[in-house]
Amino acid sequence: MDSQQNKQNIAAVLRRIKLWHIVLMLVLTVFMIRAFYVQVIRYDFYRKTALSDQLKQYEIPASRGTIKAYDGTSIVPIVLNQKLYTVYADPMFIKDPSKVAASVRDIIGGDEGKYRKQLEQKTLRYTILSKKVPKDKMDRLLALKYPGIGSQEQTYRTYPQGSLAGQVLGFVPDDGKGRYGIEQALNSQLSGTPGELKAITDASGVPLAASGSNVEDNPVPGKDVVLTLDIGIQKQVEQLLAKDIKRDKADSGSVVVMDPYTGQIKAMANYPSYDPAKYYDVEDGNLFNNTSITHPIEIGSIMKTLTTAAALDQGVIKSNSTFYDPSFYMVDKFKITNIEEDGGPGTRTIAQLLNLSLNTGAVWELMQMGGGKLDKQAREAWYEYLAHRFLFGQATGIEQGYEATGLVPKPEENGAGIDLTYANTSFGQAMTATTLQVASAISAVLNGGTYYKPHLVAQTIDAHGNATVQPPEVVKQGVVKPEIGQQMIPLMQYVVDNHNIVPAFNQDRYMVGGKTGTAQIAKPTGGYYDNDFNGTYLGFVGGNKPQYVIAVFVNKPKNGGYAGTAAAQPVFADIAHMLINNAYVIPKK
Amino acid sequence: MTYSSSMALGRQQRSIGRNQNAVSFRSNERTLGPISNTIILIVLACLLGLLYLTQVTKTNAFGYKINDLQTQATQLKSEHDDLEVASARLQSLDRAQNSDAAKSMTAVAPSGTVTQ
Repeated sequence: MDSQQNKQNIAAVLRRIKLWHIVLMLVLTVFMIRAFYVQVIRYDFYRKTALSDQLKQYEIPASRGTIKAYDGTSIVPIVLNQKLYTVYADPMFIKDPSKVAASVRDIIGGDEGKYRKQLEQKTLRYTILSKKVPKDKMDRLLALKYPGIGSQEQTYRTYPQGSLAGQVLGFVPDDGKGRYGIEQALNSQLSGTPGELKAITDASGVPLAASGSNVEDNPVPGKDVVLTLDIGIQKQVEQLLAKDIKRDKADSGSVVVMDPYTGQIKAMANYPSYDPAKYYDVEDGNLFNNTSITHPIEIGSIMKTLTTAAALDQGVIKSNSTFYDPSFYMVDKFKITNIEEDGGPGTRTIAQLLNLSLNTGAVWELMQMGGGKLDKQAREAWYEYLAHRFLFGQATGIEQGYEATGLVPKPEENGAGIDLTYANTSFGQAMTATTLQVASAISAVLNGGTYYKPHLVAQTIDAHGNATVQPPEVVKQGVVKPEIGQQMIPLMQYVVDNHNIVPAFNQDRYMVGGKTGTAQIAKPTGGYYDNDFNGTYLGFVGGNKPQYVIAVFVNKPKNGGYAGTAAAQPVFADIAHMLINNAYVIPKK
Repeated sequence: MTYSSSMALGRQQRSIGRNQNAVSFRSNERTLGPISNTIILIVLACLLGLLYLTQVTKTNAFGYKINDLQTQATQLKSEHDDLEVASARLQSLDRAQNSDAAKSMTAVAPSGTVTQ
């Protein structure tokens, strides 16, 4: 009986065990199915979800290349990068706005009342108290541990030389893309390539070194750019131009100083200018333009140097030629005359043509290109020089933003008085060019016929210190015959010697030549203004050879007299004297 | 010990009865059973796992060190940049022009008299 009972008990236990076994197996099966679903079927989803928390992806910004320039033979920085801080506040957390505002004023400076007003606006969650705060001041402010005060680091361009060459440099706003000047033209070289960091991180964002899926691409820093500018010359040219423009009550002015044998720009200045560190304070956007290259004008009588060079090169005149000046020419029923001071008809030399700035003389030279008359042959011959040798009407390609091309009329008959137009171009009217274009053209004449591309970049230096030197780039050879430059030098010296420049230049020790220009200003509606003129000057200074070409534009001076002589010539004279007096010019041996 | 020798040994020590199986084999060799093997494998797996975790933790700790060093390098670079800016500002033309030394200088010689 007991044995029977025992057997029944054992059977019951075994049944219960079997039952639990089945239940357990069912539960395990459910777990396994769920695990399979999660780990295999939904693998991608859960992997992405996990990585979105753990995998951090950062862009590592590349540091922007610096800009340097020459100071004599040494190289000095003129644009650097500096980390500065934006101090912000969350007014909701500010308990005592007056106390915090006072502390901010004590440390950063500024208006305490303005800070207090900002901090009292409790509905705001973010308000910027100050930008460009140096690190030491930011550290002092944060050390006070006011809740709701924070800072954000940002890299800014900084200019150790102040506003020097502001329009040549351009500026870099908060988006990091260069605007105007070098910053725009060389933005891709200066900005470099950003790096990337993808890493599994801990909760605080620190990359875990053991993760095999970490990716780290280091940024490639932007290249440093060394400009051809000499900051000593640039500084003094800017100061002299500003002084003269103010004295002449002119609207604006531009100067280009370049090396005629390389195309290197030694100084490029405009007035008025701006401080690139405070570009956001500029109200008139035109101030950002480097007008030496963006603002073509009718250049006036400085063109006569190029007309003469072209006529000499064609062999239709000689530097010692004389010609009869009738004192006027009738072209397309319009009378082309000279200024009253030039006197009446008479026989003139080429040197007198330039010194007296005879419009009729320039037209006579143009006529010689046509075999003695102003016709299609003369127009085409002159156009060949204007457009294809002096390269007017096309951009020089200098490393600047927004370079203008200027305008050269085509020589074909257009039914609108093309002969008159071309007669005007011979003395710099009815066509436009920039200060840089005329400096480059006369450089090609003076150096014996090689048109060098005007350039501002002397070399670039990569992050490893490897320098790439920018050699002079020949754009065109044979602009004029080599001897033409030598013929033009004394003609232009004659003009300087006969223009009452005080103090006079010592031509025994130095070589200084030039030509004035007074240009009418075209109205947008057609015709010319009666009382407004531009003053221009194109000259050179050197010792045994022209070392610097100087081109000057002065817009609408109001100091009386002919604008070229009264306003532009003094700028040239001041700069030429400065170059000589500061030993930038190697004297004759 | 081979099978044949162990069989021979059994025959010597035991009396053989009628209809009795004369061949029996009892090995003296001690071997681990399946449970022991399983436990050992689990322990080994745990040890390997522990070793892996130790190494991973150790390697990850370098991440913090690297991070610290990178932060330090960034700070030093930033300080270097600040010093470079300060140095450039101290040598600027404006500063030189307004310095006491510059103010005490006399005007340059008239044009054309400078010799080199």
